[in-house]
Amino acid sequence: MRATRCVLALVAVSVAAQDPVAKGIEEFHKGDYMAAQATLEQALKQNPSNAHARTFLALSRAATGGCDTATNDLTAAYSGKNAELRRLAGLALVQCHMVHNRLDAALPIVMELEKQFPNDADVLYEAAKLDMKAWNDVVFQMFQKTPASYRVNQVSAEIFEIQGRYADAIAEYRKAIEKNLAAVNLHFRLARALLMESHSPEAMNEAQREFEAELKLNPHDAVAEYEIGQILLAENKPQEAAPRLERALALSPDFPEALLAVARLRAEAKRNDEAIELLERAVRLEPENEAAHYNLMLAYRNAGRSEDAVREKAVIDKLQRPPAGEFTEFLKKLGEKAPNQ
Amino acid sequence: MKGLALFVALTATASAPELPEFRNVAAEAGLVQSFPNGGSESKKYIVETTGSGVAFIDYNNDGLLDIFVLSGPGGTNRLYRNEGNGHFTDVTEEAGLKSDGWSQGVCAGDFDNDGFTDLLVTSWNGLALYHNVGGRRFENVTVRAGLKQDRARYNTGCAFLDYDNDGRLDIFVANYVKFDFATTPKPGENPYCWYRDLAVNCGPRGLPFDHNILYHNNGDGTFTDVSDASGISKSNQSYCLGVLTGDFNQDGRTDIFVACDQTPSLLYINRGDGTFSEEGVLRGAAFDDNGKAMSGMGAASADYDGDGKPDIFRTNFSDERETLYHNRGGADFDDATISAGLGRNTRWVGWGCGFLDFDNDGWKDLLLVNGHVFPEVDRLKIDIHYKDRAILYHNNGNGTFTDISDRAGPGVLERHASRGAAFGDYDNDGSVEVVVNNQNEPPSLLKNAHKPAGNWVILKLEGVKSNRSAIGARVRLTAGGHTQIDEVRSGGSYLSQNDLRLHFGLGAATKADEVEILWPSGIRQIVQNLNIDRVVTLREPIK
Repeated sequence: MRATRCVLALVAVSVAAQDPVAKGIEEFHKGDYMAAQATLEQALKQNPSNAHARTFLALSRAATGGCDTATNDLTAAYSGKNAELRRLAGLALVQCHMVHNRLDAALPIVMELEKQFPNDADVLYEAAKLDMKAWNDVVFQMFQKTPASYRVNQVSAEIFEIQGRYADAIAEYRKAIEKNLAAVNLHFRLARALLMESHSPEAMNEAQREFEAELKLNPHDAVAEYEIGQILLAENKPQEAAPRLERALALSPDFPEALLAVARLRAEAKRNDEAIELLERAVRLEPENEAAHYNLMLAYRNAGRSEDAVREKAVIDKLQRPPAGEFTEFLKKLGEKAPNQ
Repeated sequence: MKGLALFVALTATASAPELPEFRNVAAEAGLVQSFPNGGSESKKYIVETTGSGVAFIDYNNDGLLDIFVLSGPGGTNRLYRNEGNGHFTDVTEEAGLKSDGWSQGVCAGDFDNDGFTDLLVTSWNGLALYHNVGGRRFENVTVRAGLKQDRARYNTGCAFLDYDNDGRLDIFVANYVKFDFATTPKPGENPYCWYRDLAVNCGPRGLPFDHNILYHNNGDGTFTDVSDASGISKSNQSYCLGVLTGDFNQDGRTDIFVACDQTPSLLYINRGDGTFSEEGVLRGAAFDDNGKAMSGMGAASADYDGDGKPDIFRTNFSDERETLYHNRGGADFDDATISAGLGRNTRWVGWGCGFLDFDNDGWKDLLLVNGHVFPEVDRLKIDIHYKDRAILYHNNGNGTFTDISDRAGPGVLERHASRGAAFGDYDNDGSVEVVVNNQNEPPSLLKNAHKPAGNWVILKLEGVKSNRSAIGARVRLTAGGHTQIDEVRSGGSYLSQNDLRLHFGLGAATKADEVEILWPSGIRQIVQNLNIDRVVTLREPIK
């Protein structure tokens, strides 16, 4: 319950030294949950109807593993009107359910907390923990029940990818492909892992082969077409790249990266109006796509539409501003720290 | 939609260039001292990662390029005098250039128009302006010149330039971050102190920005900080390193491009009234073709495709492409990296760079030197290394380049943690050499052992009404039906100084039919039927 202690200790409450309820809450916030329990139990003996004392007693009990005795009062507080107590009680309930592996019970509470407190770091943390636990449980079952399946290799590869262990990921994807030659997406993932592992010419060639293999299994895979187009561009083979990029867009007309790539081809061919049309479509599809706005800005500039270019630049400036939020603020503070000199 | 792969790169088209054979002749030339620059196994602070530059200058006016190499703490900046026989002699002490501290950049120019090239050295913690006293020694005149800074600044790239065309060289200094040892977080202390799961030195992200500085030359040996009045300091959200000056919109006034790390690179357009307007984003010179800021380090300029307009090349970080900005005219740029065949190399952190015509075919080739900022990267055993080789691109003469690094001689393939690189013909044989500052090692001196077949000419320009160094003078040279342009620049590459003379490869042409010089004063000079395969001095005509 270490996490609970950290979470709950964040709350600031004023304390009147002589008030036993206030004293108990203070002890709770200091993390002295045993003392808080004793103080709040005493206070409730004197005034059993004190809901505040009841809630913090439940929170203290939950923080020390006494979920069973705390659940009813936490549930009551979670349904109450006080938003902060609702948040604290909800978080404690989620933690209690997770300790007892009651993920079904924890999930609706987390979802409700996310609705009510969408920017709350504690709520998001618990949500992430719950999702991770659920994922871990299922993967564990997969490893136990179907250890020889290609899916086990695939999921292992995906985990390695997340960990940045691309060589291991590549090996696992290859094993998965050996086991199931017809499974779609494996060649694509393998190609992507190859490119993440290395940008050597050999890796690029191999990745291209894998993307081609993916296309044999799924000829309508627009992303694989696009990736091959990008590789050919990097190889300085624009003539070969162009039809691949055009095809990627034909396969998936709302694929923003393909729209961008084809718009660049049009711009290079001095067909600026067509480039603008494609890029305008890209920004309509993805209003926050910086690359699309940037290319549209340049296309407007090249077409002599200065005002439109300036407007797009303003959008880019806005998109590139760091997002608001606690983490950004933290980093900003680091950045603003005045040097000694 | 599937996630897109994070890739770039591959092989460029093959042509049959005349291959050079670059050898590192530093040891036989006498460049044997190491230049300390922070840790070799790990680096605790960002200041250990960025140094240092190197210069080719002719300080004693004997017609031979000397070499000035900058150092971090534990060593000294060193001046090597060119003895004219392939050997250099360390003359640091007698020249009065002994130093200590975190030297970063160097740029050269005759700020007092006395005929001797002066030096500016930038450091973390200040500037040093060295006045060249008669080609015999240097005098540190920083305080007298008004260049002593009131706090520790992380000065990086610099350039002398005459932004107001008054005949006197002003100074531009880029600034990286606000940094001090006491308050900067240690490796791993915040999310910006990690690289691929390795705890590494922090920054530049997470460290405070600083602004670039412009000093105006008052003409009496002093300078005035005009950063605010000129609009230079207004752009203060970029981590700035390499400085490249040039008249990018060809209006007769010097503009300034600054390669910036993890933030938009800057393009200051000279408005001609003593002020600059930063227009990098709108002009397409701030980002890559996806609108993303790269980790810009060094920069170089040339008209690589022969369309008469100066283009810009910038070195970047690993997992990024280098960037080639093609000038559409009027300093509006397109990212031509991929179409020019430079999309392949993404495994290196690039620093010093320069356009050089190694085969004298009249088309500027491109060389960049590399080395990672984190020595710790070697622990990962991946294809990105702390010490790495250089990259040499041959210009195919059709707007594309071919990577010939593997066939360009052992000097190109040597692995170093390289930073600054300067380009110049130190033995006046018509073949351009490259001196490279390697962290914690002696410098490399890359000399082409294969004499290029093409003819050549080197122009040494001397201003009269314009500044004596002719910095900012633009040259248009036509030979054998092929026209090339270039400009005399101070600074450039990565925190370095190239030869102030201009080298032109001429191919089979037996003379330079016409040389047109646009002097910063506005005077236009035309010289016809210039003899070649030699160094030619051209003096600004007095009208």
